[in-house]
Amino acid sequence: MVRTEEMLLNVGPQHPSTHGVFRLVVKIDGEIIQEATPVIGYLHRGTEKLAEDLQYTQIIPYTDRMDYLSAMTNNYVICHAVETLMGLEVPEKAEYLRVMAMELGRIASHLVWFGTYLLDIGATSPFLFAFREREAIINLLNELSGARLTFNYMRVGGVKWDAPEGWIDKVREFIPYMRKELEGYHDLVTGNEIFLNRVKGVGTYTKEDALQYSLSGANLRCTGVNYDLRKEEPYSIYDRFDFDVPTEETGDAFARYQVRMAEMEESLKILEQAVEQFPEEGNILGKVPRVIRPPEGEVYVRIESPRGEIGCYIASDGQKEPYRLKFRRPSFYNLQILPKLLKGENMANLVVILGGIDIVLGEVDG
Amino acid sequence: MKGLAKGLTYTLKNMTREKATYHYPEEPLPLPDRFRGIQKFYPEKCIVCNQCVNICPTDCITLTGKKHPDPERKGRIIETYNINFEICILCDLCTEVCPTEAIVMTNNFELAEYSRDEFFKDLQWLDENDTNIRKEN
Amino acid sequence: MTTEENNKKPREEDAVDQKKRKSNESEKNEIGAQKEGAGDIKSDKRAKSKKERPNMQDKEGPMKQKRPGKKTDVEEHKEEESPSPKEPLLKKYVALIHEHLGENSLEDAYINRASKELPTLIVQPESYFSIARLLKTHQELQFNYLSELHGTDFKEYMEVYVHLYSFARKEHIALKVKLDREKPIIHSLVPLWEGANWPECEAYDLLGIEFKNHPDLKRIFLGEDWEGYPLRKDYEPYDVEV
Ligand code: SF4
Ligand code: SF4
Repeated sequence: MVRTEEMLLNVGPQHPSTHGVFRLVVKIDGEIIQEATPVIGYLHRGTEKLAEDLQYTQIIPYTDRMDYLSAMTNNYVICHAVETLMGLEVPEKAEYLRVMAMELGRIASHLVWFGTYLLDIGATSPFLFAFREREAIINLLNELSGARLTFNYMRVGGVKWDAPEGWIDKVREFIPYMRKELEGYHDLVTGNEIFLNRVKGVGTYTKEDALQYSLSGANLRCTGVNYDLRKEEPYSIYDRFDFDVPTEETGDAFARYQVRMAEMEESLKILEQAVEQFPEEGNILGKVPRVIRPPEGEVYVRIESPRGEIGCYIASDGQKEPYRLKFRRPSFYNLQILPKLLKGENMANLVVILGGIDIVLGEVDG
Repeated sequence: MKGLAKGLTYTLKNMTREKATYHYPEEPLPLPDRFRGIQKFYPEKCIVCNQCVNICPTDCITLTGKKHPDPERKGRIIETYNINFEICILCDLCTEVCPTEAIVMTNNFELAEYSRDEFFKDLQWLDENDTNIRKEN
Repeated sequence: MTTEENNKKPREEDAVDQKKRKSNESEKNEIGAQKEGAGDIKSDKRAKSKKERPNMQDKEGPMKQKRPGKKTDVEEHKEEESPSPKEPLLKKYVALIHEHLGENSLEDAYINRASKELPTLIVQPESYFSIARLLKTHQELQFNYLSELHGTDFKEYMEVYVHLYSFARKEHIALKVKLDREKPIIHSLVPLWEGANWPECEAYDLLGIEFKNHPDLKRIFLGEDWEGYPLRKDYEPYDVEV
């Protein structure tokens, strides 16, 4: 007979599996988690408050720092919100560049997730492989925008740079390369018995739970809800591409893994078509007034980021600065379900569940 | 067991592949031309229009101008120009708005210093920082 | 000239294409006297250097006019523009709400055309929760997904903005409620959507809006000992320079 005792354990704020400054207070009885309380806010920088004193163009570099693993989608959501409010047209070429940048970013972001998730679980080598491929994407985006992570690439009404010479060809070459590597990942990880034992049936929730907790992205699609904003309400030029929305039915950590892996393939499909359709001629910046001054009114737009539904609300009073700016940050919403998932779980499953949600702390804390 | 063996084959195959790491700092890091490093400033080109100060999202540029010494000529010339590199986020907006390209980006990114005070880059420093200047601006 | 002087020079600015919004503008002219005052404030606000800008009192003028203007949006668009494709839907929602919860539960309903034709309801604080419940549970509404919840300080009142989505019907709706700025209290939506939990904490933390029946209302980002509510427009930062 083993006698157990309740104890409080602090995971974080500095802990390798939390991928940022995130603290989790867990009450454990032996190996079983009785209660888990997330403590967040360590990375709160007040982006929304800062933005109230900034012009719209100046806010874009701040959005890079929210979800720093896929800054392109963040850039896009604020530009899209302002464009919607002002009724601006974005030139076709700029939209293609944006889509390519966003999809490359999505793959890069999922690769980081793939690598670090497996590292959390205890597999070291996938991390190295994933970062090798990610480096190739980062180099592409670096060539395009001039920075590796904080791109500040999009502008209201277009993008800052045209594609440099030969860039499109490099993207074209990258697609088959990445396809091959993805197959390799499946060989390396997906069939691995240890991995399967570790993730199958762990952190399961139902479709109803997912909707109740406002989950989005892969966290929602792993329960069988076919919902991707790129398909549902096509923004930008996503209606021109033929791609699928991968879903799984089981709602466990393995389903989330499968959805994300399949999403990378879909992104490659989109990239392939975008590269083919890319117009060589055309403007990269639409007719935009020199000082961006949206009319009075409010707007809320949502797009699909790698982590889920990212939204941007702007209330404008006709000034150069927003009266109120609010981001719907998918990680913040997705993380809410964590206490529910952890209750009654084995302590060793904590990292599997937390990692499976795929949070970025810069985004959770805003 | 089959899955494990398959995974091991992939790992073994990768052992013979080209190395993906960089030999930094022995060899310089290959950087694309657009890469944003610390700025270079051309005092003679600046027309003291203040646009860079206005656009900077972190308020890290300060400048003062003075009247042109030659009374014949209109306009103003720059007197001091400082960038506080403790808070500059290298967002590229100052170089984007500058009408005369008096402030441009270079590819120099190795900015570590021993003291915080040295992050305060003044006109002279920014003028002398003239290597690896970005071609497109 | 010094830097400050330079800053004061208002920058040459292209006018934003505001033709589309002309319809809203015409209402504002009714409040003529106020408009002039507001104009002054605007121009001298622009002249101010960036550091001084957070002086929020200045913004009061323009905002004051903006809000009351909203009222007649629906009728006006009908006259001047082609009616929104969402118009029948909005009518249906309003009728359903009136039928179940009485005529007084809604303060206003209009289509926010700038926001991709979004049907928007402004509800009375007392019926906020019951309307949300109706929207979620009624067979013809089924807004079962809470996409976004946040608060805004509009100086005269606080506003809570809720964006709902219906998976069954693929429709959106925005729900807004105006609260007393001095004592903003509203019923929590957590009993309906668990996903409202943290966003409500966020609104409480940054704006001081209290949510009744919330299971665990806490200052989620800043900590319990933080003074003041940063997203309020009259918030004074403790240390200005850092
Ligand atoms: S790069 Fe950005 S932050 Fe740095 S000085 Fe220029 S505008 Fe300011
Ligand atoms: S924008 Fe260029 S020209 Fe104008 S003050 Fe700055 S550096 Fe000088």
